[in-house]
Amino acid sequence: MRHYVRLFLILLVLQLPARAISIAEVRKSLVHITTTAQEPNYRVPWNPGASETGSGAGFIIDGNRILTNAHVVSNARFISVERENDPNHYIAKVRYIGHDCDLAVLEVADAKFFEGTVALSFTNQIPQIESSVSVYGYPIGGDRLSVTTGVVSRIAFHVFAHSGADSHLTIQTSAAINPGNSGGPVLQDGKVIGVAFQGFSGDVAQNVGYMIPVPVVQRFLKDIEDGHYDRYMDLCIATFPLLNPAQRKSLGLPDDAKGVLVGSVVTGGACDGVLKVGDVLLTIDGHPIQSDGYVELDGERMEMPEVVERKFKGDSVAFHILREKQPLDVTAKFEQAWPFQIQASEYDVQPRYILFGGLLFQPISRDFLQASQIDNLRVRFIYNYFIADEFYKEHPEVIVLSGVLPDPVNTYVGGFRGAIVEEINGVKIKTLNDMAAAFAKPAEQYVIKMIGEGRPIVMERAGVEAARERIKTRYNVPNEQNLSE
Amino acid sequence: MIPRLFLCALLSVSLAGSGTAFANENAEKKHATPDSSAPAIHKPISVVRVNVTSQPYDFLRPWSKRPPFQRRAVGAVLPGSRVLTTAEQVADATYLELEKPDSGEKCPATVEVVDYDCNLAIVKPSEPDFLKPFKPLTLAEPGVGDDLAIWQLESNGTLLNTRALLTTVEVGPYPIGDSAFLLYRLTTSLQPRDSSFTSPVVKNGALAGMLLRFDSRSQTADAVSAPVIRHFLKAADAKTGYIGFPRVGMGRAALRDPQLRRYAGLTNGTGGVYVTEVEPDGAADKAGIRPGDVLLAIGTNAVDRDGNYIDPHYGKVSMSHLIACEHYDGEKVPFKVMRQGKEITCEVTLAHPDPSQSIIEPYTIDKAPRYYILGGVVFQELSRQFLKEWGSEWTRKAPERFLYYDAYQKELFKGDPRQRIVILSNVLPSPCTVGYEELNCLVVTKVNGVTLKSLADLEGALAKPIEGFHHIQVQGTPGEIVLDAAEVSATEPALIRNYNLPAMKRL
Repeated sequence: MRHYVRLFLILLVLQLPARAISIAEVRKSLVHITTTAQEPNYRVPWNPGASETGSGAGFIIDGNRILTNAHVVSNARFISVERENDPNHYIAKVRYIGHDCDLAVLEVADAKFFEGTVALSFTNQIPQIESSVSVYGYPIGGDRLSVTTGVVSRIAFHVFAHSGADSHLTIQTSAAINPGNSGGPVLQDGKVIGVAFQGFSGDVAQNVGYMIPVPVVQRFLKDIEDGHYDRYMDLCIATFPLLNPAQRKSLGLPDDAKGVLVGSVVTGGACDGVLKVGDVLLTIDGHPIQSDGYVELDGERMEMPEVVERKFKGDSVAFHILREKQPLDVTAKFEQAWPFQIQASEYDVQPRYILFGGLLFQPISRDFLQASQIDNLRVRFIYNYFIADEFYKEHPEVIVLSGVLPDPVNTYVGGFRGAIVEEINGVKIKTLNDMAAAFAKPAEQYVIKMIGEGRPIVMERAGVEAARERIKTRYNVPNEQNLSE
Repeated sequence: MIPRLFLCALLSVSLAGSGTAFANENAEKKHATPDSSAPAIHKPISVVRVNVTSQPYDFLRPWSKRPPFQRRAVGAVLPGSRVLTTAEQVADATYLELEKPDSGEKCPATVEVVDYDCNLAIVKPSEPDFLKPFKPLTLAEPGVGDDLAIWQLESNGTLLNTRALLTTVEVGPYPIGDSAFLLYRLTTSLQPRDSSFTSPVVKNGALAGMLLRFDSRSQTADAVSAPVIRHFLKAADAKTGYIGFPRVGMGRAALRDPQLRRYAGLTNGTGGVYVTEVEPDGAADKAGIRPGDVLLAIGTNAVDRDGNYIDPHYGKVSMSHLIACEHYDGEKVPFKVMRQGKEITCEVTLAHPDPSQSIIEPYTIDKAPRYYILGGVVFQELSRQFLKEWGSEWTRKAPERFLYYDAYQKELFKGDPRQRIVILSNVLPSPCTVGYEELNCLVVTKVNGVTLKSLADLEGALAKPIEGFHHIQVQGTPGEIVLDAAEVSATEPALIRNYNLPAMKRL
């Protein structure tokens, strides 16, 4: 983001020239993390999933904690950590994990691990563009510590690939960041300026690596201070720049290049009931909002949502607005993080499903759609417009018939793969739990209606019960459902 | 479409005039025996070239047309000085001519009747005697296993006679629109010729079908079947003017599943299909057929559990063929249905639903798209033709909301008062549209407080600006945009000049 760049062009004058930190000091903080992870298989949701071993980096921060990336330790079943100059392997556990910011804090029970270690400290500044940085970690190419250097190339918002649905501030660097670097510190003048976390494969781009900058890291560490990670807060609105003179005039705005239009307000979001479509946002927490959606923050121009990036659960945000030409002050409170997360990758959970008479029902989610390759237009649209068109109101979970395990009880149920469940025996199905309840209710037959399909699926109870053990044995299904979230 | 690709590639070499025709007394006899091993040198006495210049509209810039292009096809000469070709061939035609294969003599022509659903068109020469020397083709009705011939033309005007085995007769999708009709599936090793793959299929010298697609990899071709041609020609001769193929307006599902059969109240028998949906105001709806009914018979034809009936000529065929081709618009047909265990008869008056009455038109051919430019903001009506502007992968690349609306329009817009979906398709930047330049493909809900049932309502709504401003409400962000009514009028001449617009609207 340009604003950060400008900010630190000014600060450069005050900074001392780059000072190399002794490698011996860094070694006292670096951690090599080896993880055995089990990634669930959304196509066979009852299977525990194949286990894979991966490795990444981490570093010791104050309070005898190890900071690393969430993706290094996601779905982990076993984590071992090693220090430089200590041959022992220590068992570590995830204490906090933030999948939306790709950060995690690990703990090691054995106090010996921390003997002689030094906690790295963070810079309280965003580094200047073109300044040199060093990346420490354990990337491919060998087993021992690797250091690469480069410069700060760019500072901007970028999608975090781990969840696939979140964007935060990142720092791009020309220092090589390769698989295994993840979670390692990026240092400048002996202080951590970021956590290496993602990059492009060599056939896409060269010398483009990304680190999570200190503001994002600090926000994570502050969020977990109360013992719980509450995730990022979101206004859940869309705004539109107010650049058009006629539109400004009709809204009663002077020609002062201030104010943005509220274009949509997500029902159930933080601003639901606080803001309305058509409101003009004039200030946010006292910062005047320019008509292109930027605010002045710490003396720099930043996109308005940056104000919210710094908020925590329970915080509020105050707007001065114009509603039907009348000035008004409103406050939105962040009660909770946005709950409907089907567009974000899931970790550390087993896929939810119900198997009934060989019919497999699963809620759609990013991971599910990637695995199942269900690609009908209706599912695609509902997934992509889940929030914009507020499908979550009727279907907090969108449950599809994802597959059929062939058995005499379901011989003629074909052609419904990818269809969305609407109701069972006349009861609307909003969640997988609703569905479990509908199937648990005694009935002669279960009439399953799918959206847009005129012909219901009819499953007779007697047949389903007779098939239960047969299907479980034949297809090696230990449990007919997983409802745990 | 594969045939078109071939066509385009070949047009550049197809300019050579035809040479002298070979006189062959046995030409007709040879047509009759396509399996004969004699060299295929025939005098084409029943086919002509149909040369068409087409110029479709550009739906992203609805005020202009795309560059014109030429297509050649082989048409079948019919009694009454008429030529049968495919509707695709004459779509958006700006100029048509018929050309005699042997002499190369040409004559301007016009489209007499065209039906894009069944993909057939009748073309008439402007000179009544132009087709006099030709021997009109009569209709044949081939059967599965028959050895047919496909008639193409060599560049010198001689007939290229390719064998084609009729392997399958079934109801399948036709290229334009949403309709499915009886198709002939042929196995043939057709050669590309300048006349493209739009050619007659013949059996013993009589017209059996019109080729509509050819896949060179699998060496298979699909043809419009004889019953479809027969129905089309009969309807074309109707005194009332041409009315397309009737439909019943219901969806159905197979009733193979014993659990579903019991649920539907069927205790015995093996036939009947499950009625899944009934289109509002369609023929079935008006006759009182309801979703959940089981259709047992149409007239005297029993319907089996897959929705097939036994056709006397073709055997087991989908019932949609029976409705579409064996009946005509306005005919009354008794439908025997089972409802809650009781058999009842519903008298269905079959009707041809006009595709242009759909809220999102399946095709917009031979007519100019409607549009309105307001100070640079372009309004249009959502149509599938608009979505097809995204190219061959339009079903993935066009705006997803519009694709969803199009695909599920019957379900999504049931009872919707709108006749069309008015969209803000794009913005031609002007002083009026500062800040709106990036807006595109939004659904317009209201203008100046007036709900738009179609683009025709726009002018009325714009006649009443609110305090000098036009308020345009759209679905989703930004919710509403505003234009200064006086500024819009003042900007018009500059817009016309800058963007070279022939007109600011077409309603």
